[in-house]
Amino acid sequence: MAQNQRPKSLLDSLGEEIIRILTPVSICMLLVVLLVSILNSSSSLSVTSSIATIAYSETGSDSSWDKFIGALLNSLVFVAVVTVATFILVLFFYLKCSKFLKIYMGFSSFVVLGFMGGEIALFLIEEFSVPVDCITFLVLLFNFAVIGVLAVFMSKMPIIVTQGYLVLIGMLVAYWFTLLPEWTTWVLLVAMALYDLAAVLLPVGPLRLLVELAMSRDEDIPALVYEARPVTHHDSASRPVQTRIWRERQNARLDSEDSSSLNSDLNSTVSIVQSSHNGARIARVEEGQVSQRDAELSAPLIDHRMDAQDGMSTESLMLEGMGLGSSGAIKLGLGDFIFYSVLVGRAAMYDFMTVYACYLAIVAGLGITLMLLALYQKALPALPVSIALGVLFYFLTRFLLEVFIVQCSLNLLMF
Amino acid sequence: MEASQSQASANAALNPHPNPNSNYTNNSNSILSSTPVWPTIDGPLGLSEEESLSYARRFYKFGYALLPFLWAVNCFYFWPVLRHSRSFPRLRPCDRRLLAPKSAPCALEYVVSSAIGFSVFSVILSSWALTFAIGGEHLFGSTWDQLVMYNVADRLGLTGWS
Repeated sequence: MAQNQRPKSLLDSLGEEIIRILTPVSICMLLVVLLVSILNSSSSLSVTSSIATIAYSETGSDSSWDKFIGALLNSLVFVAVVTVATFILVLFFYLKCSKFLKIYMGFSSFVVLGFMGGEIALFLIEEFSVPVDCITFLVLLFNFAVIGVLAVFMSKMPIIVTQGYLVLIGMLVAYWFTLLPEWTTWVLLVAMALYDLAAVLLPVGPLRLLVELAMSRDEDIPALVYEARPVTHHDSASRPVQTRIWRERQNARLDSEDSSSLNSDLNSTVSIVQSSHNGARIARVEEGQVSQRDAELSAPLIDHRMDAQDGMSTESLMLEGMGLGSSGAIKLGLGDFIFYSVLVGRAAMYDFMTVYACYLAIVAGLGITLMLLALYQKALPALPVSIALGVLFYFLTRFLLEVFIVQCSLNLLMF
Repeated sequence: MEASQSQASANAALNPHPNPNSNYTNNSNSILSSTPVWPTIDGPLGLSEEESLSYARRFYKFGYALLPFLWAVNCFYFWPVLRHSRSFPRLRPCDRRLLAPKSAPCALEYVVSSAIGFSVFSVILSSWALTFAIGGEHLFGSTWDQLVMYNVADRLGLTGWS
């Protein structure tokens, strides 16, 4: 049938693509800010011991220099562990253990959704004194976790369900990260941004190796990657506007992939070079929890999970990095969601003014990264620009802007 | 950005019109211009006809493992099948001529069974939860305190990690 529509302008299609990736990032950040402001209203001085604080546990009485050195040590340990984990993941991928890795990944994401989701639900229940009984709670939690695992890893589900669960996983892990001590959090963010930059762009970086391995074998990698729904025109139901060519593999497969590419939002081709943080990160999270609760279980679980997680992460979790999916839709790794939300959540612990400033900075950084993505047509790390701007604006706001605004308000001058 | 505009013109040439799997409703009724082509709610991004049968069956069977929400996902996912079968009453018994020649049930039956299962479950669960919440101590006495979640969490120390 004839379509008498005016042709869509560049702004429509490009703007819509950007909005489709900005919306989930913003929702994740908003949820983390809400959680932080509800649950952390009493400043908790207790520090969760986990792998991220293995080198140094911050206490309130240390001097600033001690705190800084301690935070630096923590971050270095964390980044080193993540690097090792990613290399192990590359090794696993090289040895073709994909099935095992996928199953293990499903299991550990079930643990993340079930246990961390359950914990946060319990916090909320206690906070609001919701009169729910344990049977109902267990049934709902079990359903939630199992369907989450299915949606993200195992089978085809409605796209909105998959996207929703990815945002929720990002929110849960980000909330856990905001429980770290303050100096450690900031130094960790900067360290992860630098690591991401190195791992994606350097030729010896583990993520780059992984991508090249995957491409040379022409394998699909299931990934914990948020893929925005591709923008479609009325007539063309399968091809979005944005160019998708970034590697020769996709070039060769473009024509045959047209109809099948859209069904591959989970098995997306390796267009996003990623670090294995997420996998490794989730491993850390679980380790931290386990080591707190059950020391005797932690030893076998750590080895077990590191492999699985790492395997999953390279395969499944393309974290900090962006690229164009095989369907041309923009993809953003889950680690980006997590670290953006950690930054904003930590800013929320200070004041809402810093939240607004950091949110705008992160969105600006994301826009810049998208522009660079369109320019260079290859996978790029999405963390560095946004984290740099976010951290910069946080400290500027906290130390300069706030004083100004408060003084103006107190003297009834402005605001 | 020139790249995307040239892509747009290439779209028309390159795009296969999405009708390799014609839904049984499509050919039969030309009056309705909004007949769906795809059986899933995702449209062209979702499943094709052949795959949707196996997915519907899998969702239905796994829902019996204490996963009623899987039934809800099933209904949500195959919503076009549910919705448009109602407006075509002759298709409700699931016209088997057009599907596989075996006598296997078609996707519609699984989806309808999932819908029924989910509604039954939600009635049971909500009645129990509401009784628990509203009845409170009057109805249950001391067991209310034992069953309510925040006490259980305190007792088991579940929130001690932070």
